[in-house]
Amino acid sequence: MTAATNPQGTTPVVAVVPFADASTTAAKVIAAHVSGYLNLLANTLPPLEIPLDALDETRRQYNAATLIQTIEAIPFEGYFKVIALFDVDLFIPLFTHVFGEARQNGRVALVSLFRLQTHMDGSSPPADRVLERVARIALHEMGHLLNLLHCDDERCLMHFCGDVDRLDQTTFNFCRHCRTALRRALAKP
Amino acid sequence: MHIMIVDDERIIRESFFHWFQKSGHKVATAASGKKALEKLEETPYDLLFVDIKMPGMDGIELLAAVRERYPETMVIIITAYGSIESAVQAMKIGATDYLLKPFKPDQLSLVMEKVIQQQKRRSEYNYLKGRLEKITRFDNIIGQSAAMTVIFEMIAEVAGSDASVLLSGETGTGKELVAKAIHAKSPRANLPFIAINCGAMPDTLLESELFGHQKGAYTGATHERKGFFEVVSGGTLFLDEVGEISPKMQVDLLRVLEEKKITRVGSRQPVSVDFRLVTATSRDLEAQIKAGAFREDFYYRINVIQIEIPPLRQRREDIRLLAAHFLKKSCHETTKRVDRISPRASMILDAYDWPGNVRELENAIERAVVLSRSRILDAPDFEFLRPPQAASPSGPSMREMEKAHIRRILDQHGWNITQAAKTLEINRVTLHKKIKRYHLEHDGTTKR
Repeated sequence: MTAATNPQGTTPVVAVVPFADASTTAAKVIAAHVSGYLNLLANTLPPLEIPLDALDETRRQYNAATLIQTIEAIPFEGYFKVIALFDVDLFIPLFTHVFGEARQNGRVALVSLFRLQTHMDGSSPPADRVLERVARIALHEMGHLLNLLHCDDERCLMHFCGDVDRLDQTTFNFCRHCRTALRRALAKP
Repeated sequence: MHIMIVDDERIIRESFFHWFQKSGHKVATAASGKKALEKLEETPYDLLFVDIKMPGMDGIELLAAVRERYPETMVIIITAYGSIESAVQAMKIGATDYLLKPFKPDQLSLVMEKVIQQQKRRSEYNYLKGRLEKITRFDNIIGQSAAMTVIFEMIAEVAGSDASVLLSGETGTGKELVAKAIHAKSPRANLPFIAINCGAMPDTLLESELFGHQKGAYTGATHERKGFFEVVSGGTLFLDEVGEISPKMQVDLLRVLEEKKITRVGSRQPVSVDFRLVTATSRDLEAQIKAGAFREDFYYRINVIQIEIPPLRQRREDIRLLAAHFLKKSCHETTKRVDRISPRASMILDAYDWPGNVRELENAIERAVVLSRSRILDAPDFEFLRPPQAASPSGPSMREMEKAHIRRILDQHGWNITQAAKTLEINRVTLHKKIKRYHLEHDGTTKR
């Protein structure tokens, strides 16, 4: 496994890992947004294979809880947090699907491109729209990894959005309360 | 919000747990209905997500138990696509909503929005209920019955004057509270209120307490002491159980009331006093006058205005209000958490005659709270209220309950048969027959 590239030595580094055929461009976009918005270093790592045990044969979807557990066991040495990017459909047992998944204060966040590549009406959005969506989901899940909760402010990146239309309405901003929580979390990573 | 997830599948419990944790809710999980009820016994929850299909107690049974024991707790039923009928049944018995799993992430958000709105409405309702409770209280006297409304009006009317007030009523009806309310509403409110139970002390002691004494007035009077007539200085003096005062003391008190002057025991120097007198008795003073045990002139002097406080059995519509108040008070004093009184237990309280009146009701609630191991006071907690011969293992009989209910409705309508029959949804003839069958009489008592 690639060790963290950290020229400054002290700044925490986030790994962005595409799995299987997930777009490396999307992984790079995520890394750029993590660096820009959270002021953290972010490295894009080479793709990995999707853990097979995460596939639910009945639902023909990948279980996000199993994926998190498996990826957490991979020693991403020197990396503070890990964002795993997929192009397959993810679910948690409660829900029909999830765009992303992360545990509060956990180490691994998942982001899936699968449902971000279509509009609610089934049509395809332009590529830049998909990348915006994936960046929003990644920042939202990173928020959870930094112990931020869902936010009531509909414009905040930490507001929960269950469909892509709502996701598109979210601004690329954390509200002032979430910004404060982020600052605190990043002060002692 | 305090949420509990009840599901026998660990992955569902974990999914919910992590999801709600992300929204900052306090989440607990239970693998069965039984375990959920055990947790509810220990901690109050705002919301339960309950799976319908569980081994042992299923979701519907749990929902019914929660509705019965913890009506404030909302329940969302989780069900699979195959069991829509159960979901409909759940809604009928009071589920807040249901979710068909797996559901879209947005659906859970929408349900949570609905729950939060409902919780908001409930707190508004509780706030308004609290205000209403204040309206049904008058200086710590609780009552919404017509009889108590009249008492509240009389208190407000007499408080402004200096006229002596005689409070009559059975023991435990709250005469001292009425006396305090009169004082609190009077222009003397900022001056002392002194209550003396005349029945509790011998004549000589009462004399010394009221009039005070000079040093050496009698053996043991080692220093000068002011009596309550002086100490009250402009306030209200409340003499409880005035019917117990000896005829000699009645003469002394009559003189004080006429002259507004007292002379301390062992002194010859009269001292001017200023006080408002409120007396109370549970005895029939007029009968005592006839028997020669109470002076008629003293009676008229203390009885300028008489307020008769009805016994609790004649204002049964206040029982539940008072019981709820005493429940809250007892919980506060004993730091025990008891949420409410069950409908079955309330029926017992309604049916009981309360010879010791409000005081007995307060003691009964306090006893039940102290001994109860549940968050709901149920019929067995009030087993001690029933006379032994009437005791039955499973609450009052249908006949007893019907009798108590009819009596309560009749009292509520001031024995207006037409209105009472309308409320009871029976015709007037049937009501008359039932009144006859149960030997009910207008004053709220039973014919012997």
